[in-house]
Amino acid sequence: MTTTLALIRDTFREAIARKIFWGLFGLSSLMILFFLFVMKIDIVAGATASISLFGFHGHNNTTDVQRLVRGVFGFVATFLYTFGMFLAVFASSGLTPSVLEPGRIELLLSKPVSRWHLLLGRYAGNLLVVLCNTVYLVFGIWLILGWKTGIWSGPFLLAIPTTTFIFAVLLAVVVLIGVLWDSTALSIMITVALMILSPILAQKDTVMKLLSSEWSRRIWLALYYVLPKVHDLGRITLDAIMNRTFDGWMPVWTSALFGAAALGSALWVFSRRSF
Amino acid sequence: MPGDFAIETSNLTKIYRSRWRRREVRAVDGISLRVARGTTFGLLGPNGAGKTTFVKLLLSAVLPTEGEARVFGRDVHKPEARRPIGYLPENHRFPTYFTGSGMLDFYAALSGSTAADRKRLIPEMLELVGLERWGAVRIGKYSKGMLQRLGLAQAIIHSPSLLILDEPSDGVDPMGRRHIREILEKLEQKGVTIFINSHLLAEVELFCGEVAILHKGKVALSGKVRDLVAGKGYKLTASQVPEALERVLRARAAAVSVREGLLDLQFTTRDQANEAIDLLRRESCAIESLVHTSSTLEEVFIQTIGGAGSPPLAAPAPQEVTA
Repeated sequence: MTTTLALIRDTFREAIARKIFWGLFGLSSLMILFFLFVMKIDIVAGATASISLFGFHGHNNTTDVQRLVRGVFGFVATFLYTFGMFLAVFASSGLTPSVLEPGRIELLLSKPVSRWHLLLGRYAGNLLVVLCNTVYLVFGIWLILGWKTGIWSGPFLLAIPTTTFIFAVLLAVVVLIGVLWDSTALSIMITVALMILSPILAQKDTVMKLLSSEWSRRIWLALYYVLPKVHDLGRITLDAIMNRTFDGWMPVWTSALFGAAALGSALWVFSRRSF
Repeated sequence: MPGDFAIETSNLTKIYRSRWRRREVRAVDGISLRVARGTTFGLLGPNGAGKTTFVKLLLSAVLPTEGEARVFGRDVHKPEARRPIGYLPENHRFPTYFTGSGMLDFYAALSGSTAADRKRLIPEMLELVGLERWGAVRIGKYSKGMLQRLGLAQAIIHSPSLLILDEPSDGVDPMGRRHIREILEKLEQKGVTIFINSHLLAEVELFCGEVAILHKGKVALSGKVRDLVAGKGYKLTASQVPEALERVLRARAAAVSVREGLLDLQFTTRDQANEAIDLLRRESCAIESLVHTSSTLEEVFIQTIGGAGSPPLAAPAPQEVTA
């Protein structure tokens, strides 16, 4: 336990020193401040509300308050799955290659700690850095909107585990590329490519009609089922927030399998590599 | 008996193969070496001899292509085998976000020290290496010499039984070197086995009891330093020496070696050399040469590396060193 805590603390220290932690914290704070001071919600007769930004009201902006709050939560969740996830991947991508630097890794490997423990400790630390910021952002916005509207929407808090889950899957890819090629840039490129591919591959129903050959349809479906489903997971969270039903848990477990395979491969490569 | 040796390697080999071209480099080539507990051992060799790879093999940072390495009888691949090891790497890159105390805390925690032990030991270690006022300062502000001393502190904070130091005096001024040597001498007195990889021959000669010289991934020469530098005096080379006389001369000489029918004898005084000549001439042996020698470890090193394949005088059986 001492070793695990030391590895997690070390990752936090590095994230703070590299301004990663405070960078994410600052952006989360800006967003929270936006909801606290800039976005004003006026409740009219308890059932309808209007939003004003910087004191300006939009056109025909009075709407059902429940719908409005859900809409805001949906916006935040979408922000987390797109922009937030990009930021988290960019910020975290250097944390694995940095421990593999010559002069640093030998000393770590000389300690009575197994290689898988070293790598998982760093992985857990990295995940916790992002989890802390996600909790801060989601919980902060949830509190502010609850306080302003009196609506305490529990499903919005689902964004914490789902965001952390999809980041965990993408982080496994970052770690795998990191231990394979020690390259921060390549980690970002491949992980961002997976994120960009996700909404494209998710249009499978439309694409199936457009693709003429059977093999191209199979390749498309194979890619869809194998690769992590960032887009679908975002949709599931949105559906939960909007009180809509969703198609099933397939995007969760297939993404989890992909993440486990990527992390397992990273551990295997790391355990067999000479430094 | 397993565990009698601090370090024991058997046919340890590391071959680096390039991924695309099928070229291979034998960085370490079948090294079998034993370092007894409580000794101070120096690993020498020119650049590219395989010293650092050998050290990394001992730490399991590099995985062997063949052979095995054991520390106190345990396979180094097992994390527990590395618990008694303290290590100071060459060209270390300690994360600059650490303070001196923070760095010691981190590496001591990885070595298995408890929080209470760390709290007690960190100020002691900082004082031992002369950095007691620098504990709260980020190590990015440390000089090279200070980093080296801090690196030594992290290597010994968990009271290791085996200390592996890769170029410990690198970047350290003469006063700092002396300070490091004093610390190492104290550890040696406590029975800690010290394994030094260094290119500073004078330092190794001064501090180490035993050495091995690596060349092209192999042990070119190994032995006790006092035997290897016993070459100060007179080197007498004779041939056609009868067995009985050879036994007598072996007893009198500081070192003896046989090569291609010639008997090389090393004597420390002129009188001993003259007596040996008298005995040889009485038996009608041929005196091939008599040379005045003054050997230092540096000379042994140059002779070994320069003429690898023909071991210098006074070389004990290579590749096997015991206290």
